[in-house]
Amino acid sequence: MQNISLYVNKKSFVHDVDFLTKLIYIFVFIAIPIISGSVIIGLLAILISLILHTCAGVLKKLIPIVALSLFVLLSVIIVQAAFIPGYHIVFFSLGPVHFYQEGLIHASLIIVRFLDILLVSSLTVLTTRPSDIVETLQRKGLSHRMGYVINSIFQIIPQMVSSMKTISDAQRSRGMETEGNLFVRVKAFLPLIGPVVISSLVGTRERAMALEARAFSADAKRTYFHEEMKYRYKTPVRIILLLLLVVSIIWRVL
Amino acid sequence: MSKVVVNNLKYRYPLTENLAINGLTFEIEQGELIGIIGRNGAGKSTLCAALTGLVPHFFKGAYGGSVHIDGINVKESKLSYISREVGIVFQNPFTQMTGAKETVKEELAFGLENLGVPKLEMLRRIEDALNLLEIDHLRDKNPLELSGGQMQRVAIASILVMHPGLLVLDEPTSQLDPQGTAEVFRAIKKLSNQGMTIIMVEHKIEEIAEYADRVMFLDNGKIVAFDTPTNVFSMNHLEEHGLRPPVFTRVCKGLGIRDLSGLYPVTLSEAVNEVQKFNESD
Amino acid sequence: MKKNRSLWMVKLNTASIALIPAAVAINYIGKLFAETLKLPLWLDSIGTIFAGILGGPILGALSGLINNVIYGLTVSPASAVYGIASIAIGVASGLLAYYGMVGKLWKVIIFGVIVAFVSSIVSVPLNYIYYGGQTGNVWGDAAFAFLNAHHVNIILSSFIDNISVDAPDKIVSSIVAFAVFSVLPKRLITLFDNSQETTTLD
Ligand SMILES: Nc1ncnc2c1ncn2[C@@H]1O[C@H](COP(=O)(O)OP(=O)(O)OP(=O)(O)O)[C@@H](O)[C@H]1O
Ligand SMILES: [Mg+2]
Repeated sequence: MQNISLYVNKKSFVHDVDFLTKLIYIFVFIAIPIISGSVIIGLLAILISLILHTCAGVLKKLIPIVALSLFVLLSVIIVQAAFIPGYHIVFFSLGPVHFYQEGLIHASLIIVRFLDILLVSSLTVLTTRPSDIVETLQRKGLSHRMGYVINSIFQIIPQMVSSMKTISDAQRSRGMETEGNLFVRVKAFLPLIGPVVISSLVGTRERAMALEARAFSADAKRTYFHEEMKYRYKTPVRIILLLLLVVSIIWRVL
Repeated sequence: MSKVVVNNLKYRYPLTENLAINGLTFEIEQGELIGIIGRNGAGKSTLCAALTGLVPHFFKGAYGGSVHIDGINVKESKLSYISREVGIVFQNPFTQMTGAKETVKEELAFGLENLGVPKLEMLRRIEDALNLLEIDHLRDKNPLELSGGQMQRVAIASILVMHPGLLVLDEPTSQLDPQGTAEVFRAIKKLSNQGMTIIMVEHKIEEIAEYADRVMFLDNGKIVAFDTPTNVFSMNHLEEHGLRPPVFTRVCKGLGIRDLSGLYPVTLSEAVNEVQKFNESD
Repeated sequence: MKKNRSLWMVKLNTASIALIPAAVAINYIGKLFAETLKLPLWLDSIGTIFAGILGGPILGALSGLINNVIYGLTVSPASAVYGIASIAIGVASGLLAYYGMVGKLWKVIIFGVIVAFVSSIVSVPLNYIYYGGQTGNVWGDAAFAFLNAHHVNIILSSFIDNISVDAPDKIVSSIVAFAVFSVLPKRLITLFDNSQETTTLD
């Protein structure tokens, strides 16, 4: 079955870090550039995250995530630099359109902040197995029902997609039209999606009954089939991260 | 005390007019294998749901009478508590997988995690169930990628790990191919031989005739007959209640072949037996 | 959708819980559909709207939240923050369905417009924090640029950027969600009603 999560199953020292420590890293690495208000610090945070991506061997998977945002970032540059009124210093011009320096600086601030958020969160998502995230959170008090929901989605979506594929292959072999104008294509796809959607909804009844039969609503104290993940350097890493935060606050205040 | 005691059970689903179950009273003993038969809409699945507490706790609706399993009143108990006493397996193997676990052994652990069973005990029960259902080789497979028969055996195993005293199966083979059906029936027979009390709804009447100790024949939410397969299938006017007796019984009825007490054979071996006697008597 | 059903029932029954993965999967499939056919819509909130209609604002909100948690884990982690907008969509759908914006096409269209309105209100501050007010959608951003150049307040331009993309999307999504709702059997729908009680027969 196809895997829809971004997680890259590899071994590295980044993968070894437990999820809670990674959460602290996310928080600290987003907070510091914002607190410091400096583009340089922001760039530094991005650089560190990039190095960590490389060490974890997930740089390749980062590219499509960033590419997804390229368009909006480009749009940010154009609009912020050329269409916000009140700027004066023309940096360069493309035909009749003037790009202002103040706008470009503002745009670069937005972009750096955005990339920073994107990279730190990507690193965590790319190097932590979703079911481990869920289990960590469950041990910290997330309701097991919500944990179940998240875990099951990672299986249900590929399952639905693959049954749609089966149906569409069958229909194509019967000469269904999947080309042509928009109306034709929409009409061709509806019989594909309709049954899968309806059957998934009707299936919730039996699934819910089966869950009840497996003591889903029990309020006993849960146990876990998996041992709890232990990260050896948890304490020092967390202390260093928090120290960085404290230092940046002090630096800002002084 | 009997394993199952049902007293004047009545039930109506929400938003409906008619009783789906209309005054059932019966008892089932420890270790019996009961087959429930009857035409579509007879109330078989509703009865299964009532035995496992899904009626009324899951479906709500209007409820009368009582169901006791090992002395526990189903209506007064929480579903999670009942699930330790009664296990249920449904038709569709796919919807019975939690869909949240990536391997068969984790799938089996799901109910035990919910019940808070300690890790070591969990492992022991999972091993036992894997062996019993002959799915040991599937332990690390993704449950959603198994064949229907395999998936259904995983469904049974994930109920059995919870150590219920009563197992209810609602048409466990109706969505399986012949091989899957055979696998599942073999597992059920094995469980029955080990002394498990089993209640099974099944349209495959020949199998019921072969395996069941007693047959409960439902129509319109009421019991038409509750007796040994031979007695039930020898009754007249079965067709009026939408039931076709096993093929051997129909053949022998047509030929007027019956045993000394006037009953018709219901399984292949019984039929062969009687036919031989019939031929010899010629 | 009956009036007597309690609106803010917090303890969801198991059927409602089991509906959430289906709702998220419907969002996913809608999005896939729109992308495959290159429709000028997102169609990624049909399931959330549907969950709101079927199970009320709490279920709608949860479906929206989980949808974006999943989005964050499968597509783009940074966008998970838009979960707040998804929550708003789920809550709005639950409330609108409860107060009777259903049944007729014109009502469903107003339903969609209000949902788009609510989701835009929530998205604007997020867009502002992330992208200085833009959405990354060509038409929306063109409107944003145009309005900005004509000295319209940045919040308002950002809101118009958002809703010009959202309104058609949410109208179509609402219509689809209601179409699915209307073909589901009644006996299935009652299972998601968290305020049902068992009565006694004798
Ligand atoms: N969820 C429900 N809501 C309302 N009515 C229902 C529901 N489920 C079943 N019924 C009705 O209750 C009656 C008994 O149904 P039940 O499912 O128990 O029959 P069955 O014997 O299992 O039939 P089948 O062989 O088709 O599985 C039928 O009239 C059916 O229409
Ligand atoms: Mg049935």
